[in-house]
Amino acid sequence: MLRPSQAVLDGVGVLARLGLAAVWLISGALKISEPGQTYIAVQAYDVLPHVLVGPVATMLPLLELLLGLFLLAGLWTRQVAGASLLLLLVLIAGIAQSWARGLSIDCGCFGGGGQVAPGQTEYPQEILRDSGFLLLAVWLLVRPSSWFSVDRWLGRGRGNSAAPAPDYSEVPEGN
Amino acid sequence: MGGAERTARKRRQQTQAARAVSQARGASADRKRVIVTVVAVVVVAVAVIGGVIWINASKNSTEGQAITTGTNSAPATPPVAGVVEKRDGAVVLTGKPDAKKSIDVYADFLCPICGEFQKAYGPQIEQAVNSGQLLVRYHMVPLLNKSSDPPGYSLDSANASLAAADSGKFTAYHDALFKNQPEEGGRGYDKGQLVKLGQDLGITDPKFAEAVNGGTYNQAINDAYQQTLKDPNLEQTFPNGKKGFGTPSIVVGGKVVNWQQPGWLQQALAG
Repeated sequence: MLRPSQAVLDGVGVLARLGLAAVWLISGALKISEPGQTYIAVQAYDVLPHVLVGPVATMLPLLELLLGLFLLAGLWTRQVAGASLLLLLVLIAGIAQSWARGLSIDCGCFGGGGQVAPGQTEYPQEILRDSGFLLLAVWLLVRPSSWFSVDRWLGRGRGNSAAPAPDYSEVPEGN
Repeated sequence: MGGAERTARKRRQQTQAARAVSQARGASADRKRVIVTVVAVVVVAVAVIGGVIWINASKNSTEGQAITTGTNSAPATPPVAGVVEKRDGAVVLTGKPDAKKSIDVYADFLCPICGEFQKAYGPQIEQAVNSGQLLVRYHMVPLLNKSSDPPGYSLDSANASLAAADSGKFTAYHDALFKNQPEEGGRGYDKGQLVKLGQDLGITDPKFAEAVNGGTYNQAINDAYQQTLKDPNLEQTFPNGKKGFGTPSIVVGGKVVNWQQPGWLQQALAG
């Protein structure tokens, strides 16, 4: 079987990392630029008790921006990918519950958000899009190593940030 | 010195050298890791503290601000002679009693599109009112009462504008609130600021502050709003075909008109 080389996998890693970084940085920046709108968007999900809407609307854009920064730098990629995965699951769950309950809201994923007219909802598209981002996070969780990363500069192993990859170079072929 | 001994010494030296190298490398990797960790912690701390301060400042930008008087285009003008402002429950009627035409305006002081409507057509509507052509019934709609943080600005502002109507200052009050419209999701204005605006507009009756602070008309506003939601004449069809009530709604001759279509006001005045 043809196995992709480490270089190819590292290349995919870079794309996944920078792609997910862009997602978080853009969505975080759009949210933080309109704090009022973000508050409305969080409130529209109608999940959180009133006292938590404000703190969540404040922390969500900051969390997204930080995840984006860490991914951009490639620092603690596996942990940050894990956190990204959890956050995406929470966001998808939020959209799904709105859909299931028949609320008419925009997810506010990239700014905006809040109530929309019934029929202007885009739940399937929103969930599909977030699932795409989820795949990027899963890739980085499984194989966080990539080029141009602080992790690499710190000398973390290739292919796995936790332990150096085993060296099979001396194992004869056909073993 | 035998060959075996020499080999053993060489091996020992090599081992020592290798250990020294790996120690040096480890020390440098440790230092890198410490630097990176410190930088990361500082970045997180700065981002969180700075972000929270920025977001709160942005959402509370109305705090301590006086609501300026005056319309979008001109300073507040005293009511034109003959123009009457009359409060009827949660509705304010403005115009000269012998005006031939009338419209109903359903709006929320927090609703951004209502602000756009006021900016686009407020001056023309007031002109038609002042010239005796038009009567306007302003309906206060607390549709977005939950959409300020803290909630309640929609209702507080609606109540205050009704109280201002009792002192004959509704139009000026209404215009000032839209001119200084707070951002949806933000702080809005508190009752103290709403009282201050009335006083700045020349309301001296102490009942005004009492009505603003006590929410005198809240019940009437909420009751009227429930009726509004049930009124089939106020149901409009949105672009996607669904029906419902929305703000702003402008009613001419019992029908909701599309105010985004230019010329609707001329038609209302002519028709």
